Amino acid sequence: MSITTLAFILLSVMAVTCAIMMITSKSPVNSILWLILVFFAISGHYVLLNAQFLAIVNIIVYAGAIMVLFLFVVMLMNLNADTEPVKNYRLQLIGVISGGSLLLVLLSAIMKVKEQHPVQMNIGDAGLVKSLGMTLFKDYVLPFEISSVLFLSAMIGAVIIGKKEN
Amino acid sequence: MNAIILTAIWGVVMMFSGVFVKSKSVPKYLAILGIAIAFIANGIELNSGNSWFTINVHGMLATNSFNLTFIAIALGSTLIYFLLSAADVERTGKHVGEYFALIFFVLCGVSLCATYKTLLMLFIGIEIMSIPLYILTGSDKRNLRSNEAALKYFLMGCFSTGIMLMGIAFIYGGTPNASFFIDNIQAGTGKMPVMIAIGMLLLMVSMSFKVSAAPFHFWTPDVYDGAPTVFTSFMSTIVKVAGFFAFVRLFESAFGTMHLQWQKLIIIITIATLLIGNVTAVFQQSVKRMLAYSSIAQAGFMLLALFALNDKAREGLLLYSAGYSLATVGIFAVLIKMEDYTIDGFKGLAKQQPVLALTATVFLLSLTGIPLTIGFQSKFYMLMAAVENGSNFWVVIVAVLFAAISAYYYFRVIQAMYFKEPTQETLLVSNISTPFKIMLVIVAVLIIAFGIYPEFIIGWKYH
Repeated sequence: MSITTLAFILLSVMAVTCAIMMITSKSPVNSILWLILVFFAISGHYVLLNAQFLAIVNIIVYAGAIMVLFLFVVMLMNLNADTEPVKNYRLQLIGVISGGSLLLVLLSAIMKVKEQHPVQMNIGDAGLVKSLGMTLFKDYVLPFEISSVLFLSAMIGAVIIGKKEN
Repeated sequence: MNAIILTAIWGVVMMFSGVFVKSKSVPKYLAILGIAIAFIANGIELNSGNSWFTINVHGMLATNSFNLTFIAIALGSTLIYFLLSAADVERTGKHVGEYFALIFFVLCGVSLCATYKTLLMLFIGIEIMSIPLYILTGSDKRNLRSNEAALKYFLMGCFSTGIMLMGIAFIYGGTPNASFFIDNIQAGTGKMPVMIAIGMLLLMVSMSFKVSAAPFHFWTPDVYDGAPTVFTSFMSTIVKVAGFFAFVRLFESAFGTMHLQWQKLIIIITIATLLIGNVTAVFQQSVKRMLAYSSIAQAGFMLLALFALNDKAREGLLLYSAGYSLATVGIFAVLIKMEDYTIDGFKGLAKQQPVLALTATVFLLSLTGIPLTIGFQSKFYMLMAAVENGSNFWVVIVAVLFAAISAYYYFRVIQAMYFKEPTQETLLVSNISTPFKIMLVIVAVLIIAFGIYPEFIIGWKYH
């Protein structure tokens, strides 16, 4: 067993354990902290797949920005046991059934995939910053530019919604 | 290309119009000017086949007479929408320029949804269409129902976007050489590979959500009812048909050869949409909510294009886009002016405002699908496409039955306008100007003209 395979197994165990802890922990703040660990584990997987850029972006954007946002929201909402809405048993059942069937379908798809390369160190350069930049600004320059319209409209929306009206 | 670039640029122009111009009515005229320019530019591109802008798009966008005709319909409907209701956009809130800017960005997304060639562009197009709508839904900040609708729409929309991304990821992984291009997804007529099948299913769910097809329609009545009426008019017409256009193009180019494998799913969605939309609309007292359910019901009819997926279906889709947009924009323009949105509020309208009542009757007849209106032609083409499809003839019969049910709730409004006495002696409508009436008459005439001569719209497809 090579060191990379060992790292893969360790990271996978860490990801799954943290994900389970995230769902089962009672306090929402703890949930978020576990989720951050999940993101770190997944970033480790990206490094194993030779995708450094994705790994760094995953940590900066997800573990950094978005999770901090989550934490703020949860803390501001002041979630306690007494403010929790009454859980509907039937809804829970429906959720379990529909989510479970989706999981089943996804699992069956993943099982069918023949080639499996969980670890790809030093193979290909698709995940490196340089090749990513070349692709982004050459082949994919159109979607890159057009997404500016998307961000512009989101910014206008934030201003409209946030501005105080007298 | 003309439409995409001009609408995006004009969105920025509209954004700054609020900063530099203090007058409140200037944005309205600027918006009408901008949409007219975009419409004409798109018409020139449709006519000559050449865009003003030469951009290397790497094959990610493709224009042909079919999708340019659709963009022309979308821009034309927006032009009519602006001419009818731009004054009511002004009354919604303080940020008039920004509202128009968002509408222009939506149109940019509509044009992308019409011309995309890769799943990536589809995703960006759908998002550019959706995000401004979340904001427009919540633009009436003092109204609690508007806030609720915006939050509901935003959350549900985010989930459907997530599902869509997951579907795209599966398809990307499932194609032989990992490609976003929808023409590369085709996997022959054999059994669908599992990864592609899952991706297709997830995409079907999210697109059904965007066009509010049952059982993913639950957000529609609340959002359409809670949003300011003038924006409901926009999002239930132009944006919705653009969603359909993207839906049909995606499933035609990407999964067309496997049509028989997913046709059964579409049948289920179609029948459920027709059933829920039509039956629930019957029980509504508020005309605005009734129109929300009727838009679900009309979506059921548009889904027949996916069921048939042949040349007639494509023609029907163009006709349906035009007919449904024109009639719904018209009826909403009348509804905005009403003091009372319930059916009781329409009682005796024919005596007070004969022009409004007459044009509203034309719009409602077109939505029902009465001959001589474009609504009849579009339903006729859709049903013909479904018949030509050859199999599952019973779907056509069910669709016709539901069209008959829809007559009930549309005619109830007509009956209230013409044959009922008003409950109290106050004015039923406000802010009616003569240009508004003239515009309504023009829209009604257009509906009848296209109903008599639908080839005018379809002809452009083969231009």
